[in-house]
Amino acid sequence: MTPLLRAPRWIGRRGLWGFAVLGLAGHLAGTAAADFARDVRPILARSCVGCHGPEKQKAGYRLDVRDLALRGGESGRGAIVPHQSQASPLIQRVTSDDAELRMPPPKSDVPRLTAVEVQTLREWIDAGPAWPDELAGATANPPHWSLQPLTRPVVPGGGGNPIDGFIRAKLGEKGLAPAAAADRRTLLRRLSYDLTGLPPSPEEAAAFTGDPDEHAYEKWVDQLLSSPRYGEHWARHWLDVANYADTHGNDHDYIRPDAWPYRDYVIRAFNDDKPYARFVQEQVAGDALFPEDPQATVALGFLAAGPWDHTLMVTVRADTVDHRSAQNLDRDSLVSATMGTFQSLTVHCARCHNHKFDPITQREYYSLQAVFAGVDRANRPFDADAPTHQARRRLLAEQRALEQRDPALMVTLKSSETRRQIAAAEALWRCREEAWEPWEIVSALSTGGASLARQADGSWLASGPRPDRDTYIVTARRPPGQLSAVRLEVLPDDRLPQRGPGRWDNGNFHLTEFRAFAAPAGGENAAAPLGFRRATADFDESPTISAAQAIDGKNETHWGVHPRYGEPHQAVFELREPLDVVAGTTFTFLLENQAGAPGHGLGRFRLSARGAGLPDPAPPPVSADLAALWRIPAADRTPGQQEAAAVAWLKEENQRALAALPAPQAVYAVTRDFTPDGDNFRPSPQPRPIHLLARGELNQPGEMVGPGTLGCVPGMSSTLGIFDPADESARRAALARWLADERNVLTWRSIVNRVWHYHFGRGLCDTPNDFGKMGGRPSHPELLDWLAVWFRDEARGSFKALHRLILTSDTWRQCTSGREGLATDPDNRLLWRQQRPRLSGEQVRDTILALSGRLDLTMGGRPAVQFVSKGDATFMSGGNPAFLDYEHFDPDAPAARRRAVYRFVFRTVPDPFLDALDCPDGGAAISVRGVSTTAVQALAMLNDPFVIRHCEHIATRLTATATTPEQQAEAAFRLVLLRSARPGERTVFANYIQHHGLANACQMLLNSNEFLYLD
Amino acid sequence: MNAALNRRDFLGTLSHGMGGIALASLLGQEMSLAAERPVTERPQAHFPPKARRVIQLFMTGGASQCDLFDYKPLLISRHGQTFDPGTGVRVEASVSVPGKLMKSPFDWRQHGQCGRWVSSVLPHLARHVDELAFLMAMHSASNVHGPASYLQTSGFLLPGFPCAGAWISHALGSLADNVPAFVALPDVRGLPYNGRSAFTSGFLPANHQGTLVHASAAQPMTHLGPPAGATQITAASRRDGLALLRELNMAHAGERPEDSRLTARIESYELAARLQLAAPELLDLTGESSATQKRYGLDQPETADFGKRCLLARRMVERGVRFVQVWSGHGGGGDNWDNHGDIPKELTAAARKMDQPAAALLMDLKARGLLDDTLLVWTTEFGRMPFTQGDTLGRDHNGGTFVSWFAGAGIRPGVAHGASDEWSWKAVDGVTTSYDFHATILHLLGLHHEQLHFRHGGIDRRLTDVHGRVIREILS
Repeated sequence: MTPLLRAPRWIGRRGLWGFAVLGLAGHLAGTAAADFARDVRPILARSCVGCHGPEKQKAGYRLDVRDLALRGGESGRGAIVPHQSQASPLIQRVTSDDAELRMPPPKSDVPRLTAVEVQTLREWIDAGPAWPDELAGATANPPHWSLQPLTRPVVPGGGGNPIDGFIRAKLGEKGLAPAAAADRRTLLRRLSYDLTGLPPSPEEAAAFTGDPDEHAYEKWVDQLLSSPRYGEHWARHWLDVANYADTHGNDHDYIRPDAWPYRDYVIRAFNDDKPYARFVQEQVAGDALFPEDPQATVALGFLAAGPWDHTLMVTVRADTVDHRSAQNLDRDSLVSATMGTFQSLTVHCARCHNHKFDPITQREYYSLQAVFAGVDRANRPFDADAPTHQARRRLLAEQRALEQRDPALMVTLKSSETRRQIAAAEALWRCREEAWEPWEIVSALSTGGASLARQADGSWLASGPRPDRDTYIVTARRPPGQLSAVRLEVLPDDRLPQRGPGRWDNGNFHLTEFRAFAAPAGGENAAAPLGFRRATADFDESPTISAAQAIDGKNETHWGVHPRYGEPHQAVFELREPLDVVAGTTFTFLLENQAGAPGHGLGRFRLSARGAGLPDPAPPPVSADLAALWRIPAADRTPGQQEAAAVAWLKEENQRALAALPAPQAVYAVTRDFTPDGDNFRPSPQPRPIHLLARGELNQPGEMVGPGTLGCVPGMSSTLGIFDPADESARRAALARWLADERNVLTWRSIVNRVWHYHFGRGLCDTPNDFGKMGGRPSHPELLDWLAVWFRDEARGSFKALHRLILTSDTWRQCTSGREGLATDPDNRLLWRQQRPRLSGEQVRDTILALSGRLDLTMGGRPAVQFVSKGDATFMSGGNPAFLDYEHFDPDAPAARRRAVYRFVFRTVPDPFLDALDCPDGGAAISVRGVSTTAVQALAMLNDPFVIRHCEHIATRLTATATTPEQQAEAAFRLVLLRSARPGERTVFANYIQHHGLANACQMLLNSNEFLYLD
Repeated sequence: MNAALNRRDFLGTLSHGMGGIALASLLGQEMSLAAERPVTERPQAHFPPKARRVIQLFMTGGASQCDLFDYKPLLISRHGQTFDPGTGVRVEASVSVPGKLMKSPFDWRQHGQCGRWVSSVLPHLARHVDELAFLMAMHSASNVHGPASYLQTSGFLLPGFPCAGAWISHALGSLADNVPAFVALPDVRGLPYNGRSAFTSGFLPANHQGTLVHASAAQPMTHLGPPAGATQITAASRRDGLALLRELNMAHAGERPEDSRLTARIESYELAARLQLAAPELLDLTGESSATQKRYGLDQPETADFGKRCLLARRMVERGVRFVQVWSGHGGGGDNWDNHGDIPKELTAAARKMDQPAAALLMDLKARGLLDDTLLVWTTEFGRMPFTQGDTLGRDHNGGTFVSWFAGAGIRPGVAHGASDEWSWKAVDGVTTSYDFHATILHLLGLHHEQLHFRHGGIDRRLTDVHGRVIREILS
């Protein structure tokens, strides 16, 4: 009988009710370190080290360094007497009843040690005391393994794959030998899942097993590495670490509609084999370091990927402690994501005090917070199309240069070419501007009840009621002759809100439609509408709120001028055909606000007419400011006015070019520039000041800390060398360069270990996000270093090269069975056989789709929503997660057929099926997934509607070629398990199929261990 | 074969970097398959426990302490005046501008031998104050639902940490082999703030997360049976199929004897079957007498939902569930305890839904002798302000002080520990926190809160972070 149910380690060590067996701990090789770290050190850290540690050494004594702790302080006496707790001053002091002697001092705010704690210390001393080397303290030891300089070790053994050299050497030391190579079927299944997350088809398996080519395996490795499925599968690993999801998490868990471009970026990066250094740099500061590449900006989605407290950042008042605390924790999450992912360090442990175990000071921690002090998480626009991206960059740079009157630009302004362009534009404008003639207005009235009063300049001013809907009817005449265009000027006036030109509170108007009619003399009833071919304005609120919308025949659309209030604007309406006006013709103009935007009538307006036609294409409209300058005769302009006119023209040209670009996409990322959300969530114009916070408390701000990084990386400075403190992106750029530096030993060790972890189910160091003292120690430090150097220097950061090296090693190709090493190395740390992974939730789901023939291999795009929600519309704008329902989602819906990497990941309401199979829920970053075996999981595999429905599809698919129950049993085994059914299996399955159908039989195969575990 | 080696092999294949953990069981149960195992290998308490199980009633939204249990005469005399605590401390409201002081709109009376003040919105619970031990001065580090709820469920302000129920499942497992160790019963109107994260196992193994039971849904537990339309699945197809599966898996495992995960998975199907068998009876209330149903308020629309879930909670602890969490209210909207707009209206409604069923549960547990080794806990994520929210009759969030109560196993009945200031604005005497609250629950279950830890992200994490004190003042 294999024992399954095991006590926690603390039970095993401590016995039933207390500490009876604690004393044994010191004698058990290999467990002593855990005892000190777990039991003793926390007591010392909490109760003693505050005054006897790195910051203060009262009485010259410190308890955080082994040698100093054992030696004692100024008294000259050893504070800890080995094996004699009774004689140890440490115990005497913590148990003393004398207030003068007792530690911690009664007057301090550190509580007295409990009897349990004292007992722990006593037993620890009596049993040794065991204080392991790796925890002996900073001053007494060489650097921790991960912080030692990185050199390339000599590969043991002769020739072959270097990985095998290192692995065999270690096995040899223990008298172990590697296991035999797995057979080809097993290998192909393992390889295919490892690289693509999907199984091979039975045909592929047959082809591979029968391939006489001795390089057949290598061919498969290359083929799978070049499959787009590779990027999808390996991106999922990275998204675990980045903690990607499509919602913010926390109480209301609003959705993040634009997170997915980052997910697609990661998939593309793996498929394109982006060199790792570049991958690192882009995700921290792609915007600053690779501004010409739009995807480098999308990469910033990494920093924003984790949970974000919408309530605290947006709803809670900005002046509260809660809000400031949220900002602090937001930066904390950026720091810990960056340093955990790229450095495998738990830097966040230094938020309240210097890191208790690793050489990371609190000051360094806050200097890292300062790197991110200028950004918030929000949508960031980008152009997926590179030419558009570059055009926008160039135009924006020009815009900035114009705004700042950049000296170099001023020189080009004087060039004859530019002057000629501007002169031509002015001439065109003049042709549009001139030759307008006033109408002879007969009457003007408002159907909605507003008063219209004629002004001295021929314009009309509206006052009185502000109807919800209104039409101004203007009746006018004009002398005989040609009419080709009508101009509507909307004018500012001090009597209007915000000086107009509209009547609404903000100064705006909605001109939903502008219509004109002409009626011959005496024939008012025969009025004919005048058609317009074009309407252009000097300023449009947006491309969809423009003068053209006033002649589109639709009341729902309109022209408006938000936010350019208090200034004159004009729209020109050009007739489709010039009209020969005969004497006595009466014109009627309707100026409508009929869409129900209350009070949005025109405030002051004037109509004029034009006989001569306008050039085609129409000259671009110019702003009121520029028009005012151009109205000054050229000869009378000052040089300043001349320059201002030139700059204004170029700016307007630039803005037109920008407006003509396709609308940008958005990615949820970090940015210093975003649209404020309410009063509380606003961008910071400058990086926010960062203070060292004693005990991490906001109400105890200490000194200001500038941007910087860690000092513990050998050969690297903690200074980032940022010259302009106001330059936000320079901070991230400097950190990104530091992280991707060839000399940064942590970067290269971290990533090769991470990749190893996904190939072997466990890293060479088994804590991929913690290379500190509390993390694991590498099983093969030389191999780890060799891989790090090789990956950096020879593979130049190519993941595909690293995969190829690992996958073609004999070590990786070993079979999973074998018991030879069980006695010597029960955990298989030395890899005397391959590990046997269980399929992940995503692999199970994707495989089921592949087997049913319904896998939709569409890549990228908005997430596939695989649940139903009450009122999808409200949900997509941020509904309540309480109403999400996965169970009633149609397993045949198109969205169900996408690969799991594309599903909508809802942080606080995970998919119960994938949840049961240990998919991360997006609460915290996951560097090592749990692999649980639970009844809940069994129930999910048996009863999930998706599984059941797709088993029916699999059965239908198989029935096409297999008719008898025996054939069907055989086909099901081949499809699901990639092997032939054994005779006995075929018989019992055929019998089962006969009674209960093929679909049920397929489901049992999907529930089998043989399916779920990879040999 | 060598069991010890296999055990290490088994543990070595688990992730989370854990060496030895309460792998407990597949459901987290204490008893299953235990007979063959030495007693020391079962999940165990650190010392003899007072309580063997816990029912927690969680009022989501922030129950207004000063309108329920924390009687403040000063609010009556200063009603309508500007709030000036005179402490030099800035008066901060979470989402609003502080309004004027507001007395509780309800009538207050002292109740029981102990003379506890209870407002008129809780007439049923008021009758039983002599059974309850109050924490009158709990303090939360946050004024915001999300973080404060996390704090009161998991001991941390941020997502990603295991909830109390998951820790208890991890440490002790379930009391029977056919029920989960940790069950969450959400309000019929929806999940609480933080959604399913309110019952998450965080970085603990997934089997410790709260099993969600939607008491009023057609299928109360996810995946308990096949979906309605799957007609090809019958009792016989399942019975024969599972036999087939077992055979297949046994043969597979037989060829890989060194991998105990394979046999664990075979057993997980047996546990699943037991759970499937037990659940219908567990969830079926028809066996409860009509008098019992009436006491829990199942016959009235306002109390039916919470009453049904309280009754289910009793049935669950009777059948071996270790930790049951019954939620009152859901995340979002004024239809819970988050009474920003109108205390007289909103709080009256919320209290009415909870009061009678909670009192019935207390009395039922007592009548059945379950209260001797069952802990009943009533709590919320924070309290509310003594002043109005702007011009409304509502109150904004107040992490400064709130009230919880305990009853049952190991609890000294009729006591109150701690006091808020004269305004019910800040906790001042005998201040307790989520850490103390959780330390006390663990203590009653026979667990040292400082010794229940799990290595994650380089730190030995605890339910009580680096804090926590057992609140002995309320222990018997």
